[in-house]
Parts: sequence; C-alpha cells; structure tokens
Amino acid sequence: MNSESKLRQQEQQVQSEESLHAQTSTEFATAEELLRHDAAQIEVPGAVADRLNESIAKEPKPVRTWWRRFVSGD
Amino acid sequence: MPPNVVRRELVEEKASSAVAWNCPEFGAIYEAHSQCIYYLALRLMGDPTQAQDATHDVFLKAYRKMGSFRGESGIRTWLYRITINHCQNLNQSWHKRNMFSNADDAVWETAVGSGENPLRVLEVKELGERIQRTLDSLSEEYRILLLLVADERLSYEEVGQLTEQTADAVRGKLHRARKSFASAFSKFS
Repeated sequence: MNSESKLRQQEQQVQSEESLHAQTSTEFATAEELLRHDAAQIEVPGAVADRLNESIAKEPKPVRTWWRRFVSGD
Repeated sequence: MPPNVVRRELVEEKASSAVAWNCPEFGAIYEAHSQCIYYLALRLMGDPTQAQDATHDVFLKAYRKMGSFRGESGIRTWLYRITINHCQNLNQSWHKRNMFSNADDAVWETAVGSGENPLRVLEVKELGERIQRTLDSLSEEYRILLLLVADERLSYEEVGQLTEQTADAVRGKLHRARKSFASAFSKFS
C-alpha cells in the first residue's frame, strides 16, 4: 500500500467518524426543544389502553353528555 | 371554545389503535392525548410504572367527570390539570416519601418505543435518564412549567391557567427555568 492510498484511507476514516458524530449529537436551543425531542421518543405502553378499556367497561354507562352528542354528530 | 375547535381536537388526531374501545368517542380522546399525558406523568413521577398507573387513573377520572366538562378550556388543558393534581398528590403521599422507586432498567426500557435499534434505545434511555435527573433537581414549579411549555399546542395563557399565574409571569419564569435546566443538565453529563 503506497502512502497516497494510506492517506486516502485515513481521510475516509475521519469522514466516517465525523459523520457518525453528526448523526449522534444534536444541539437544542432551549430546554423545551430537548423535552420535545425526549417526548417524541416515548410511547405509551399498549397495556395502559387495554387496562383503561377494561376499567371503563366496569363503569356505569355515562349520561349522554354534550361531547358525546357532538362527536357522534347527532 | 368554539365547537368546531372542540370537534377537531376530539376527532382530527384519532390514531389507529388495536384497542376495540367500549366507548369509541372516549377512545378517540385517549388516542389524541394519551402520549402527552403519559409523558408529563413520566417526567413528574420519574417512574414508568407509576406513569402508566397515573395515565390510566387520569383518563378514568376524565371518563367519570366528562359530564361536568363544559368545554370552557381545551380538553388537553383539562387533562393536564387532572394529571398535575394527580401526580402532585401521589408525590406528596406517604408511600412516595418512604418507599424506594421500583423503576429498574427493564422497566425503563419498556418506556421507549419497541422495535428500535438497540443502540438507539441505549442512547434514548441514557438521554431520558439524564433529563429525568435534571428535572428532579429543579423546583416543582420550574419542572411543570418547562414540561407544559414544551407542548407547542399550549399557549402561554393556557400554561398560565394551569400554573395559576399570568402569561407574562410564565414568560418571566420560563427564562429562569431554562437557565436552571441548562445549568443542571450540564452537570449530569
């Protein structure tokens, strides 16, 4: 391997490392931006919806409130 | 709030769900707002298991009280109010003061979306833990303020309603809360 190809290999390695750095580090201007980013990574576990649905099934049927009429379009 | 806004808030963001809701209208509300409620509970409680319980309890309370909700504030604002009260009550309870958190690594990992690249999960988990430590080091007032303002759908007026202060006071305190957060966050690197 001549010196030119060694140099090219080194340059490629540096470029690769810089690219990785760019992918894994993100700067946030404010705390809210960071929290928004954090929130976007969080999913609600599906078990919560299942459990809530079961709990609702045990509840007495609610009176027909304005929001139910509104959503159903009656 | 104008009816068309309420309707949009209830229906527009309805996401596909594997759950066959017993009450589809309420299911639509859950689908539209559960993520932000779970996130707020998670960061206020600092424990995914407790956040899951809190999210369940908040929506169950909302279901029971829907008859008394008149639409004077947005549904999301109303749900946030229930969440803040619920989490504050739990945080002040005897159990919270006297028992160790049962959050462990496995539980934290379930708080992150499934199907992720393991390295990505690690990165998210580490960042999440750092954010949690930072928030825990702040006063409750700053913590709630930052978490609410991070929701772009809430106006400063609505954040003010939730934190019982004016929008101008929110702006003033937000500046100090940001500085406190940045200072603490740099210490937990």
